[in-house]
Amino acid sequence: MRLRLSRRSLFAFFAVLGPGFVTASAGNDVGGIATYSAAGAQFGYATLWSLLALTLSLIVVQEMAGRMGAVTGQGLAGLIRENFGLRITFVTMLALFFVNTGIAATEFAGIAAASELFGISRFIAIPASMAIVFLLVLRLPNKIVERVFVVFSLIYLTYVVSGVLAHPNWSEVARDAVVPRIVKNPAFLVTIVGLIGTTISPYMQFFLQSQVVDKGSRARDLPAIRADIIVGSVLAIALAGFMIVANGATIFQATLHGGHPIDINANPQAVDFARALEPLAGHFAEVIFALGILNAGLFTAAVLPLSTAYIVCEAFGLEASLDRRFREAPVFYSLFAGAILLAAGLVLLVPKESLFKLIIYAQVVQGVLLPLELVLMLVIVNRPRVMGSHVNTRTLNAIAWATAIVIGSLALVYVWQSLTGA
Amino acid sequence: MPFHEGFVSELVGRSAIVERGGSRDVVGRVADFVVEHPEDTFPRIDAVIVKTRHGELAAPIADVASFDDGGIVLTKAPTVVRPPDDEALYLIEDLFDKQIVDVDGRKVVRINDIEIARTAGALRVVAADIGVGGLLRRLGIAKIMPRVVDRVPRSLIAWDNVAPLRDLSPTQIRLSVSEKRLSRLHPTELAEILGDLSAQDAARVVGSLDDERAADALEHLEPDVQRSIIDDLGTARAADIIEEMDSDDAADLLGELPEDRQNELLAEMDAQTADDLRELVAYADDTAGGLMTTDYFWIYPHRTVTATIAKIREIAPETEFIYYLYVLDQSEKLLGVLSLRTLLLAEPNATIHSIMDEEVVSVRPDVSAEDVASTIARYDLLACPVTDDRGTMLGIVTVDDAIDAIIPERLTRKLPRLTKRGQQRRAETVG
Repeated sequence: MRLRLSRRSLFAFFAVLGPGFVTASAGNDVGGIATYSAAGAQFGYATLWSLLALTLSLIVVQEMAGRMGAVTGQGLAGLIRENFGLRITFVTMLALFFVNTGIAATEFAGIAAASELFGISRFIAIPASMAIVFLLVLRLPNKIVERVFVVFSLIYLTYVVSGVLAHPNWSEVARDAVVPRIVKNPAFLVTIVGLIGTTISPYMQFFLQSQVVDKGSRARDLPAIRADIIVGSVLAIALAGFMIVANGATIFQATLHGGHPIDINANPQAVDFARALEPLAGHFAEVIFALGILNAGLFTAAVLPLSTAYIVCEAFGLEASLDRRFREAPVFYSLFAGAILLAAGLVLLVPKESLFKLIIYAQVVQGVLLPLELVLMLVIVNRPRVMGSHVNTRTLNAIAWATAIVIGSLALVYVWQSLTGA
Repeated sequence: MPFHEGFVSELVGRSAIVERGGSRDVVGRVADFVVEHPEDTFPRIDAVIVKTRHGELAAPIADVASFDDGGIVLTKAPTVVRPPDDEALYLIEDLFDKQIVDVDGRKVVRINDIEIARTAGALRVVAADIGVGGLLRRLGIAKIMPRVVDRVPRSLIAWDNVAPLRDLSPTQIRLSVSEKRLSRLHPTELAEILGDLSAQDAARVVGSLDDERAADALEHLEPDVQRSIIDDLGTARAADIIEEMDSDDAADLLGELPEDRQNELLAEMDAQTADDLRELVAYADDTAGGLMTTDYFWIYPHRTVTATIAKIREIAPETEFIYYLYVLDQSEKLLGVLSLRTLLLAEPNATIHSIMDEEVVSVRPDVSAEDVASTIARYDLLACPVTDDRGTMLGIVTVDDAIDAIIPERLTRKLPRLTKRGQQRRAETVG
């Protein structure tokens, strides 16, 4: 009986760390680490305020997805199909497939960068990690894999410790976290769009909603779903904040005092960002940085192509299950394998110096796609015939529309800037 | 030229032309088709919705003179305001892209297109297209590469098999093959379909089955999904179904629920079942106690073989596992065991006591799942009895449950479960 009780309370603890938590932490993948590191290294704490605004947006957007899943019992892809028809669904799925493949490519790029810190060529590391990813997904039980990655994710906590040990000027940190500040540098806009893209990724809404549906959650479970989303989002963004602080307090400060500046337009290397962990890890900074990147990269490189295949198949009503043989679910397996091959192939083709650049720009593309997805979500979540009494409130609509509009215009300005070279 | 057969997607968007005395006026475009009696086997199309400059208007099918490549030719301009959604079924608005349960393929798919044809003097809905062909047609790829599309195998569900799930709002019609055919499916297959439906729809399907079928299907589902279905069924119905489940599965399910909900459900069951379940719920999942079922066959040692066989005939339909007979005394102490084989080969007048095996291998309820499994493997058992310190019989762990427990994450259930639930495919009870 006592054993049972303790198992229960442990279960309750992990139940709180539900889909919302998992999804928000999934945002801290290779792209996340790279973007937050670059933001801190290049602009110090100047981007922190955007994280505060993003927390609210992330919570609102994720809550909408969670609510749609619980109320309709359907995934986002299915809802888009039912509400917007086949063509819009097709275009959305096409975009999602390529954006997600792009993100998967950043994961492989991260793996390549990390393995090169150990002196292993990426022409060995990438094929090896592809093999590992296929093996993980096709051969290993899911719970074990998940646990290993969750344990390894604790590596991120080194950023918290390292950030504190670097003795940042806390009053400066606090001011920059609350008071918006814009640095007059074209790269600043890129960084902000990238931060948005990596913190609220388009795939996260699909991912979260599927998990809520998968758990069989209902409208009455909404309070628990909301709590999970809020806790998960706040923790994940707090961690992101510490990555910026750690990089700001080390690399950016060093630059201020005559060190070598980091410019993301000038092909920074992974080894440059590892320095953010030096206050804690000293000579081991590179090793820890590489391990963190490897862990995040392998996990997301496995999960993302697989979930993309599930989502696309859901949208088109096609067979999608690892229980099936290839012949029974050819589209599903082809999408999964295709995404991994494309992603890994892309990384092998891109010259080594551009790997980190590829990572940052993949986040920017997400920032461009997100507003489009948000508009689809907002239309559905406001339809009484779909959501019943659980349509959006005015406040939620206001925040979500503001998010879509701000991100959309930032993305437009960014695209215009790149086209005109301004 | 009368229209014979085709797909709705091919007609939508074509011009609606009014032909009067030689002049052809385009009045709008075909937007949808209306069926007023969707409950008919092959329902008749009663009107065409035309999108005009004055909004969407309905043209009765009697006004349609012909379908041709240029569009639909009408004898007079449409004037009727379109009927409200809750009275009529709209082929595109209500059916396109909606989910349909394909019972033969045992999966949930979406309606990509609707086939209509002229039969019995009227234009009727004949099939739902659930294949890739329908997708390509609607994406316009069929027009660009007709040969490629022709080679895609057709995948249609005849409309006479299609019936809406009960008590659904017309705006969210999800269709299924009639409930009678659902209940003829193997429980594993039924569970597979339920796993693909939204929790709400799954609860609706389970609600339409009889208690026993519902219990069988439920046993094959994931705990999370079981819980949400049970929550939707209402306490009395849920209790009836849980009572029909194997006691170990029923206990696992109850263990997932909050305590007050457990008590509500147990209060609805008969006292004996409720007591058994209460005991089982108390054991941890991965121990012998958590794995065991109280559904086994037992007999007193002084009975004869003939009497025992008669008893088995009487009880067997209710009891899943009858291959081992456990011999108990008045205080339910486990004295011995015999196999069905031993029983059948023995003299009819022999007593159970004389033929039973007194060397019974048994485990305590707190033994780990791995240890139960290795005991079962070492002694080549189909089931292992669970007894307490005084030798009192508590239940049995069958070999299939033991296997499931040591391979809790089936190799078929991988990262991440996302949109499709990994079904718990258990081996059927041995035999």
